[in-house]
Amino acid sequence: MTFDLTILAPHIPFLVKGAVLTAEACVLALAGSLCIGTVVAALVTSASPLLSRIAYVYVDLFRNIPFIVQLFFFFYGLPEIGIYIDAFTTGVIALSIAGGAFTSDVIRSGILSIDPGILEAAEVSGLSKPTIFRKIVMPIALRTSVRPLGSVFVNLILTSSILSTITLNELTGSAKIVASDTFRPFEIYAVLLVAYACLTYLVSLAIGALHRYLNRDQTEAA
Amino acid sequence: MISVRGVRKAFGSATVLDGIDLDVHSGEVVSILGSSGSGKSTLIRCMNGLEKLDGGRITIDDFDVSRPKELSEARKRSATVFQLFNLYPHMTAVQNIALAPVEVLKIPRKQAEADARTLLDSVGLSARADAFPAQLSGGQRQRVGICRALAMKPRYLLLDEITSALDPEMTSDVLAILAKLAHDGTTMVFVTHEIEFARTISSRIVFLDKGQLVVDLPTAEFFAADGGMAKPRIAQFLSKMRKD
Repeated sequence: MTFDLTILAPHIPFLVKGAVLTAEACVLALAGSLCIGTVVAALVTSASPLLSRIAYVYVDLFRNIPFIVQLFFFFYGLPEIGIYIDAFTTGVIALSIAGGAFTSDVIRSGILSIDPGILEAAEVSGLSKPTIFRKIVMPIALRTSVRPLGSVFVNLILTSSILSTITLNELTGSAKIVASDTFRPFEIYAVLLVAYACLTYLVSLAIGALHRYLNRDQTEAA
Repeated sequence: MISVRGVRKAFGSATVLDGIDLDVHSGEVVSILGSSGSGKSTLIRCMNGLEKLDGGRITIDDFDVSRPKELSEARKRSATVFQLFNLYPHMTAVQNIALAPVEVLKIPRKQAEADARTLLDSVGLSARADAFPAQLSGGQRQRVGICRALAMKPRYLLLDEITSALDPEMTSDVLAILAKLAHDGTTMVFVTHEIEFARTISSRIVFLDKGQLVVDLPTAEFFAADGGMAKPRIAQFLSKMRKD
């Protein structure tokens, strides 16, 4: 058997289309999971036992159920009760909700690592609770959370390949079709390996840059 | 005026403040002395609303710090400087100082940052205005902490052992700033172990022991042989502090 990438040439536009779909789904899901994770982390660390309990239930629920089961429930289960959502939107929502559970846990640990004295200083200066969260808590929590958040986001990108199981022809779904058309799974999946590695490497680079920016006081010359 | 009436505070079974009465009038510098665990810092924390009272009442210009609706008004009138600085690590010195004026007093950001630079200049830190806390020495951080408190233009400054974490040279830098503030008529409640400094700048000295207010006397009277010094507990405390 020869390793011949040229046989993929006619399929490149189709694969690029799938890669774009993966990128779109991932960007939206990363934003969604960050929003959900931030809100849930705020609830978990809030003074309200009820809100904290509700948030914990969400985290435990979605962290402990296989993603494919959640995805099938949203895509195949919900139509049974009259809720129809297209495959792309379902994928983004499911990834956001599942990713949000992991993201909230990482942000929560970042929040809990903040020196309470800093929060007391903010409180006595008269800042409102939302302002303290926005201007003090989150920026400080992200300083320590950004690296583990990167791992969550990389995992989210890798998990996005499962969206091919709900008829979404994202990168993996497109590759499966091309593989069955060309009978050359070795070449196509080799390309897929490289494509996912590139995508996750880009996220790692971005996370590294964000980490350096958030912790610039530790590295910049005094 | 800061009015403290019958304040009680306990942590579990340990009573930390036991019926404290104290008034701080405008323009006064009141030093609170006492050994570790006497309740000095807890009293300051009760004054700024960080600790919930178990009994009694504290008002700042008639705003009750125990009532959530009045606490924000009380906090607009007072500012606290902490022992361990508690600066926001992700913000520069200027940003640390300008944050509350922008968010609470609604001063335009440019104006607040210009005011912050003026304050930093007044404490000899104009060259470090854009440095982060991690890039400052302990004394410099505490000076930023004082500027952050002053930026809110408070009527009352609450200072909680603000030189305890500093070496002698840094301590003298910070005390010089407090002496200037006292000279300018800033009202201060000052928890300290710096006995001689307290003697120099205070109008009154309050001595706490085991959560109780032992004496509240004008400074000269506190250090007089027939005044505070006549009390064995105070004489013992001062003798020990001077040896240390």
